Amino acid sequence: MTTTALEHELKEMIIETLELEDVTPADIDPDEPLFVEGLGLDSIDALELGLALQKRYGITLESDAESSRQHFANLRSLAALVEARRAN
Amino acid sequence: MTELFVQEWRGWTPHRDAAGEARLETSAKPAGTAIPSMLRRRLNLIGRAVCDMLIALDPVAELDVLHASRHGDGERTLEMLYAIDAGEPLSPARFGLSVHNAIIGVYSIASGNRRSQQAVAASGAEWAALMAEAQGYLSDGTERLLVVFGDQPVPARFADFAPHTPAAAVALVLGTTPTPGARRLALSTAPEADGAALQPLDVIDWLMQRRGPLSCPLAGRSWTLAPGA
Repeated sequence: MTTTALEHELKEMIIETLELEDVTPADIDPDEPLFVEGLGLDSIDALELGLALQKRYGITLESDAESSRQHFANLRSLAALVEARRAN
Repeated sequence: MTELFVQEWRGWTPHRDAAGEARLETSAKPAGTAIPSMLRRRLNLIGRAVCDMLIALDPVAELDVLHASRHGDGERTLEMLYAIDAGEPLSPARFGLSVHNAIIGVYSIASGNRRSQQAVAASGAEWAALMAEAQGYLSDGTERLLVVFGDQPVPARFADFAPHTPAAAVALVLGTTPTPGARRLALSTAPEADGAALQPLDVIDWLMQRRGPLSCPLAGRSWTLAPGA
């Protein structure tokens, strides 16, 4: 499925961009939170991830914190964002 | 002037043989195991070594920290300059970790140490600056504090413009009282005629009694270690 391929791509992007040295794609549960709980990312990671989305998919996030919170909730919501807004 | 004692120390460098000295770590890649992996991933080698040493010296994280580095993280700074030159947006993580207090900032988050922290660069007079700052804290009522001095080679692009800097870091607990095994820091204002700026590796050699007085030509001062009692 396309979504699964995209999810896997995003997992690899997260691991590489955020230098998660002890994490493998299998460790990232698509339904678990990415931030604070679950994977345990922090606010610097959020900025870094926003930059990676911009560089790779041409997606610029709104400065609206609530919508970013929804997009970054878990891997599935992130994949939905990329699916809907990717430039290429 | 308040007397200073080296109560305890730890060192890291892959450029020396520990020769049985347990306080000196000589692995090429320090583990950084005192730091949770989600924080450790952001630290370079010297950052991992420094955090391990600070947590070993002050497990309850209650001491002020003075941190000095002449060059700081030249690699991350240069990578950001390349990004700017290429018209690329800057990496927030890279920026956050390139600042001079980055390592002790990560240490503070990991250890829960909320005490005063200072990051110093002094163009080659780092050791003298650290001792002056330590003297200030200890004269002002602090009984013990942590002093760290670490540097790594500058990026190859800058190598012709900076002295060769072998990777090394040293952390000391300085205090006003001679605890068992402590050594007294004796200061003299007549330094040896040695023009080279002091580096962390010199401090390690000095603590291991492999060299004479620690002389800082820029500050016109020299330090020797004497028995504590």
